[in-house]
Amino acid sequence: MPASPPSGSPAPLSLSQIETRFRNRIWRGDALGASDDPVISSGFQGLDKELPGGGWPTRNLTELLLPTEGLGEIRLLSYALEEITRSERNILLIAPPYIPYMHAWAHLGVDGRHIVMVRACKPAERLWTLEQGIRSAAFGTIIGWLPEASQQATRKLQILSRTAASLVFLFRPARARFEPSAAPLRILLSPVRGHSHTLSLYLLKRRGAPFVLPIRIPLPQAAVFSRSAELKSPLIHSYC
Amino acid sequence: MLWIALYFPALSLDWIERRFPEALIPAIGVTVRKGNQTCIQQANKPAQARGVMAGQPLASALAVFPDLVIMEQDPREEGKALQQAVYAALRFTPNIAVQNNGLIAEVSGSLKLFGSLKNLCQSLNRVVTAQGLQLSAGIAPTATAAWLLARSAQQGTVINGKGEEFRILLDALPVGLLESVQPHLEVIRGIGCKTLADLRRLPRSGVARRFGPDLPVELDRAYGDSPDPQKWFEAPEDFQQKIKMMGLVENTELLLVPAQRMVEQMCGWLALRHAAVSAFSFVLHHEYSLRQHHKFTSVNIRLSEQSSDPAHLMLLLREHLERTKIVAPVCELELTADEIAAGADGNLELFPTMQSETTSLNRFIEKLSSRLGPEAITGLKVVSDHRPEYSQRLELSGTGGLNPFSKRETNSQIIPPESPRPAWLREIPLELKVQRGRPVYESPLKLLAGPERIEAGWWNDAAIARDYFIAENNQGQLLWIYREHNPVEKDKGNKGGNWYLQGLFG
Repeated sequence: MPASPPSGSPAPLSLSQIETRFRNRIWRGDALGASDDPVISSGFQGLDKELPGGGWPTRNLTELLLPTEGLGEIRLLSYALEEITRSERNILLIAPPYIPYMHAWAHLGVDGRHIVMVRACKPAERLWTLEQGIRSAAFGTIIGWLPEASQQATRKLQILSRTAASLVFLFRPARARFEPSAAPLRILLSPVRGHSHTLSLYLLKRRGAPFVLPIRIPLPQAAVFSRSAELKSPLIHSYC
Repeated sequence: MLWIALYFPALSLDWIERRFPEALIPAIGVTVRKGNQTCIQQANKPAQARGVMAGQPLASALAVFPDLVIMEQDPREEGKALQQAVYAALRFTPNIAVQNNGLIAEVSGSLKLFGSLKNLCQSLNRVVTAQGLQLSAGIAPTATAAWLLARSAQQGTVINGKGEEFRILLDALPVGLLESVQPHLEVIRGIGCKTLADLRRLPRSGVARRFGPDLPVELDRAYGDSPDPQKWFEAPEDFQQKIKMMGLVENTELLLVPAQRMVEQMCGWLALRHAAVSAFSFVLHHEYSLRQHHKFTSVNIRLSEQSSDPAHLMLLLREHLERTKIVAPVCELELTADEIAAGADGNLELFPTMQSETTSLNRFIEKLSSRLGPEAITGLKVVSDHRPEYSQRLELSGTGGLNPFSKRETNSQIIPPESPRPAWLREIPLELKVQRGRPVYESPLKLLAGPERIEAGWWNDAAIARDYFIAENNQGQLLWIYREHNPVEKDKGNKGGNWYLQGLFG
C-alpha cells in the first residue's frame, strides 16, 4: 500500500480513494449494496435492515417466490401499498389468483379506489400487460402473478423497470427459485410452523453479501387473532 | 419569414404506387396525350429497369416491355394526393400554400416548438415522405425562392438558402424554372440567358416590354424585392378521407401503412383546428360481390380522453384492427373524425402531476382494453353489504367509468375493523371435503378462530346464514371457511351444513 505517493508522476489512486471517487458505482462484495434508487420502506425493521437501500427498491424488479397463496403475501406488502395509495398513486394487479377483498385491504390501510385489476390468462398477455404497466406513468406499484417466465422475459422487465419510478413485484411459484432470473432482489416466502401470523423470508438474491438466515417478520393482523380464547367467544352479526 | 417548399417531382406516379403494398409494385408508366400521340410521361424504377423511358411514345414502350402497367395521367387523383400531403404537413404549421406539384409552408412560427430548423425540416420531410411521396425541398426567406430551390434540388435532398445566401443560390438557377419564362423559353435561351443572374442583368423595362410584366415581378418576388402574397390552404369543417387500394387486401398488416397515413392526415387537420379527437371510425369497404353481403366493416374507436397524438391513435387503431376479422377483401379505406373536442393534448409537464397521471392511466386502460377486451380491466367498488359476494362490485373500465380520482361515495365501514377479513376471495366458494368431522383443504384444517355468524340478504332472495371460521392447514395457509347454518336441519340431528372455502388471508 503506497502511503506516500512518489512525487513527479501522477500518484496511483489508493483503494479508498477509488472507492470515494466511484461511490455508488462500486460496492464491496462483503458490504450490503447501496443504490441511488429511491426506496419505500417495507414497514418491517428486520427486513428493511437487510434490504439494499433500506426498503423495497423502486426502478427494479423484485421477485417474491411463494409456495402457495394465503401465507400473508399481501400483508407483507401492505405498508408499502398503504404508502403508495396515501400519495394518491395507483396500484396495478395483473392476473391475481383470487379477487381482492377490498374490506380487508382497507383494513390494511390500502385505498381500494386506487386499485386497478387486469385479468389476463395467457402468459404472453400477462407479460405484455406487465410491460405496458411499467411503461405507463400511471402506477406507483405494479404487482404481477407470473407462474412461467423465462430469463429473457425477466431481463426485459428488469430493463424496463430501470426507467420507471415504480415498485414492481412479481409473484412466482417457489419452484422458480432454481430458475435464473434477472431480478436484483429475490425473496422466498415461507410460513413459520406454529406461528400463524409470522412469515419467514429467505433473501435468495440481493445486491451485496448473501444473507442465509431467514428473517422472521410478524404480520399485521386484526385484533381478534390476538385474543386467546378465540373459539369460545363467537362474534355474531345477525341482521334479520 | 422562413419558408420550406416541398416539390413532388413524381407525383403522377406516386399516387398510383402508394396504393400498392410496397413489395408488389409493378412496372408502371404514366401516359400523357401530346397531339394525337400518347407518350410516356413518367416511368417508375421497375419500368426504367426494363428500358421504358420518359418521353417515349407508348407504342415503343410497349414494344420494349409488353407487361407495362399503363395509367393515364389523372390531375384529380394527383390533386387528392397533394391535398393529403398538405393535411399531413399541417401538423407543423397552419400556413401552407398549395402549388402545382408541391407545397410551400411558412415555418418561422414553428421553429421554437420543434427545436430547430433542422429538426423541423427533417420531421416535415419524414411525415410527408411517409405519405408515399418522393420529394425535394428548399428553404429560403421568400416563398418563390424556396419553391425555385426545391424544384432545382435533387430528389430526396434539401437546399438550404437560409439568410442572405439564397440570393447567391438563386443566381445560379436555370431560367427554365421560372413559370413566366415558359412561353418565351426558346427566345431567352437564344439571347444567351442561362441563369437567373443573366436574366437580372438585362434592362428591366426591356424585359417587361418584350416578355410581359409577369417576368420581372416573379424575379422580384423570388429575390424579396417585392411582396409575395400567398393564398393559404383552408381545411374543411370536418375530416373524412378515403384511400382506394390497388388490388384486394385480406391481411390486416397491409392495411396498417395506409391507415398510418390517414391517421397522420387526421392529426394534421386536428392541429390546424387546434382540436383533438374523442371518437373516430375506420371503415373497411369490401369489394362488391353477389356472394357476400358485407359491404363494409366499421371499426369505431372511442377514446376515454381526447387525443391528437398520431402514435397513440395509431396504437389504438392497430389493436382494434388486429381483433377485427376481415370477412371479405378490402378495396377502400375510410377514416372519419366523428367527434372532436376543442383543445389539444395537455401541456408537456416537467414533473408528473395528478393530471398527467390520470392521462396516462386513461391511456393505459385504452391500450389494454383494445387488446384484451374491455372486460379484462376492472376496478373494485365497495358496497355496503355483509355478504362477501355482494360487498364489492367489479367496475368496468369503459369510457370514464374507472376513474380512481372521482369522488365515489365514501366507503361506509359497516364491517368493524376487529373482525378479520381475508385479502383474497374465491369467485365461487369451494365445497370442502370432510374427514372425520374436519374440513379438508390440501390437509385437514385446524380451526383458529370463530365462529362469526353472518346472516343477511333475506330481502333479495340471496339469504345466507353462515358461520365463518379461520382455519390453517399444514402448508401454513390461513383460510376463511364457513359452514352453512341451517336451523331446520340442525333440529333433525344433522350437525351443521357443508363446509366451504371462501377466502385466503394473503
